[in-house]
Amino acid sequence: MYSRILAGGRTGPHSLPLARIKKIMKKSGDNVNMISGEAPIVFSKACELLIEELTRRSWMVAMQRKRRTLHKEDVVSAVIATDIFDFLVNLVSEDSTTPIDLTPVEREKLEF
Amino acid sequence: MVDSTGGNNSDREGFKYHFSGTASVALGTDDQDAAMKQQDRLLPIANVGRIMKKILPPNAKISKEAKETMQECVSEFISFVTGEASDKCHKEKRKTVNGDDICWAMTTLGFDDYAEPLKRYLQRYRELEGERSAQQSKPSSNEDQKNKTTNYGAAETTRKTTVPTTPLKFNVIDRNNSPLPRRF
Repeated sequence: MYSRILAGGRTGPHSLPLARIKKIMKKSGDNVNMISGEAPIVFSKACELLIEELTRRSWMVAMQRKRRTLHKEDVVSAVIATDIFDFLVNLVSEDSTTPIDLTPVEREKLEF
Repeated sequence: MVDSTGGNNSDREGFKYHFSGTASVALGTDDQDAAMKQQDRLLPIANVGRIMKKILPPNAKISKEAKETMQECVSEFISFVTGEASDKCHKEKRKTVNGDDICWAMTTLGFDDYAEPLKRYLQRYRELEGERSAQQSKPSSNEDQKNKTTNYGAAETTRKTTVPTTPLKFNVIDRNNSPLPRRF
């Protein structure tokens, strides 16, 4: 039943490859045993929502900085300014060399 | 369930990349193996970029680094949520992480805005899969229909009217399409 969806490389109607999602899930911890067929499908949607939200927020930062190109530093700033993205803070700060934090004014505009 | 064995096609794209920060450019075979494993843990940049582009105005550009950062964030997200869901299964002595566990973990970790649309998505998916298996267990040839001694799929008689022609087409109707997200 799932072979059509999970066959190598093809994404079918989902925008993200299910097999790859499943691989990432498996590597997330030692106690990850079996994964039902629907879990990667739920994730394909969830990841889409995450990308959409983070992109929107990053874009707002880029606009505040008067740019029309989204840069890594915009994504980093958006992560730092958003509570639910706290789990990403260390990840995005790791190899950052440019100043990443928002000015108080920028931060004010992102918060609500 | 069938696992992908042909997933290496998309992994090849890893060789074209200059990894910024986390992995060095491939030189020897060990580095090449490391590079391929690196790509294994990220979703393809093309897919990620496409989703990003959908959100932005038409004249907007996205730097490669921004896409790469997004790739990393998504993988971390998957690990983060899966870890939480998997812990729950472990505590409840269940072996398989299912869609409901993922939805639950989302809510627990603060992504309650995602949980509702995801539950609906999952529900829709389950309905379609239910119809699909009902169809598959139906007799395929006309001859069998003369000898209807067994009821192959109990659901088939009630679902004949709604046969999905496009598999799993989920339109996002939960979020409005305005450029400003509703929570802003």
